[in-house]
Amino acid sequence: MATRSLKRLNNICVGLGMMAAALTLPVQTAQAAGDLLVAPTRIILDGQRGTEVILNNIGSETATYRISLELRRMTAEGKLTDVSPEEVNELEQAAKDMIRYAPRRVTLPPNQPQAIRLGVRAPKNLADGEYRVHLLFRAVPKATSVTAPTEQTEGFSIALTPIYGVTIPVIIRHGKLTATAAIANARIEQGDEGQAFAFDLSRTGDRSTYGEIRVVKQGVDEPLLLVRGIAVYPEIASRTVSLPIPPEVAAQLKGPLSIEYYEPRNVGGGLITKTDLVLR
Amino acid sequence: MSKFIKAVVASSVLAASVMGANAAHAATATADARANILEELTVTKDAGTDLDFGTIITTGTAETVVVGNDGTRAACTNVVCTGASDAADFSVTGSASEAVTLTVPTSVTLNGPSGAIMNANLSNTALTALDGSGNGGFSVGGALDVAANQTDGAYLGTFTVTVEYP
Repeated sequence: MATRSLKRLNNICVGLGMMAAALTLPVQTAQAAGDLLVAPTRIILDGQRGTEVILNNIGSETATYRISLELRRMTAEGKLTDVSPEEVNELEQAAKDMIRYAPRRVTLPPNQPQAIRLGVRAPKNLADGEYRVHLLFRAVPKATSVTAPTEQTEGFSIALTPIYGVTIPVIIRHGKLTATAAIANARIEQGDEGQAFAFDLSRTGDRSTYGEIRVVKQGVDEPLLLVRGIAVYPEIASRTVSLPIPPEVAAQLKGPLSIEYYEPRNVGGGLITKTDLVLR
Repeated sequence: MSKFIKAVVASSVLAASVMGANAAHAATATADARANILEELTVTKDAGTDLDFGTIITTGTAETVVVGNDGTRAACTNVVCTGASDAADFSVTGSASEAVTLTVPTSVTLNGPSGAIMNANLSNTALTALDGSGNGGFSVGGALDVAANQTDGAYLGTFTVTVEYP
């Protein structure tokens, strides 16, 4: 029932999108469009209730966007890499299968927001656990005209068009899940782009951890380093976190320090884990 | 109409001031204001920036034309390179100090006239987190492999760039 109405909504939106596309065809310009705004930046679904994501065209031209479900795995360096179709495991497939969303393609004039509705339909015998997909928002490139000037006689011209977009995680938690984290092996590393403060962030339990890292020096109120959005996803037990050190911080990063991992403020801001160390 | 409203407002103000503190109290009502503030993120390509190798004229010898992440083209020795070069610059905004990761393909294939192709390897500047004001950016440059007998004409290609929120 819910699926059917979603489908209908999808059809209407696609129809509208096609109409809009047809209307805007004559004013095609060479400039690529596709600037976009997405809110919120992270979605956690606990029960059967759905939610929505706002997509806004912040470019100066009408653009068509495609919304798709992607799978990502976290690497030991904390990067998110694409999962190829052959590698998809049961957990990932289950996650993809239970998400319903619409519309999947939308054409928006400049400054026109559109709500993308998201719902979950968990199968009855779903095992407890954390299921995750990444929602990809990406502009569809305009078809390049076949009558484009190609009268060049010598040499060649190159047109490389970027298609750019953003992914946000959609996390489904089923059952009572727990996780703990720990910090170890803090060190200063020499990276490609200067020095970095690095440490290992490990996780145990059946769900991900997510929050902000603060590196605090004893007796100094403001954290020396602060970075939000540090996640450890269930597919890995440990990752490295590497924070670039700004020059003005480098000299202060010595002596008794603590590394603190807090939950985001909108879910209470509780301390997940904390480690004290002395850096020489 | 608006005159009428003004008159009513004026008279009610007058009435309130005449009636004193009690009336003023009664006029204070509590109302709930509710707004759902969502954290947002944006990805934009800076106007007028594209990965552009300029115009290349072959001279019968293979060459790799390199445009750095800053948009400058390295000297071409085996081919003639003219025209301005540029890298594609992107801007990302979101929550302050938020960690993000980038996915940029390592290479892209360009399609030219009558089945001719060219390969370009892409490079990009790193973006690991937004700054304290929630701003960040990155640039994409590339190295274009030009064959010795590369067919003249227009070559087109697309590449995908994705900003991944953790």
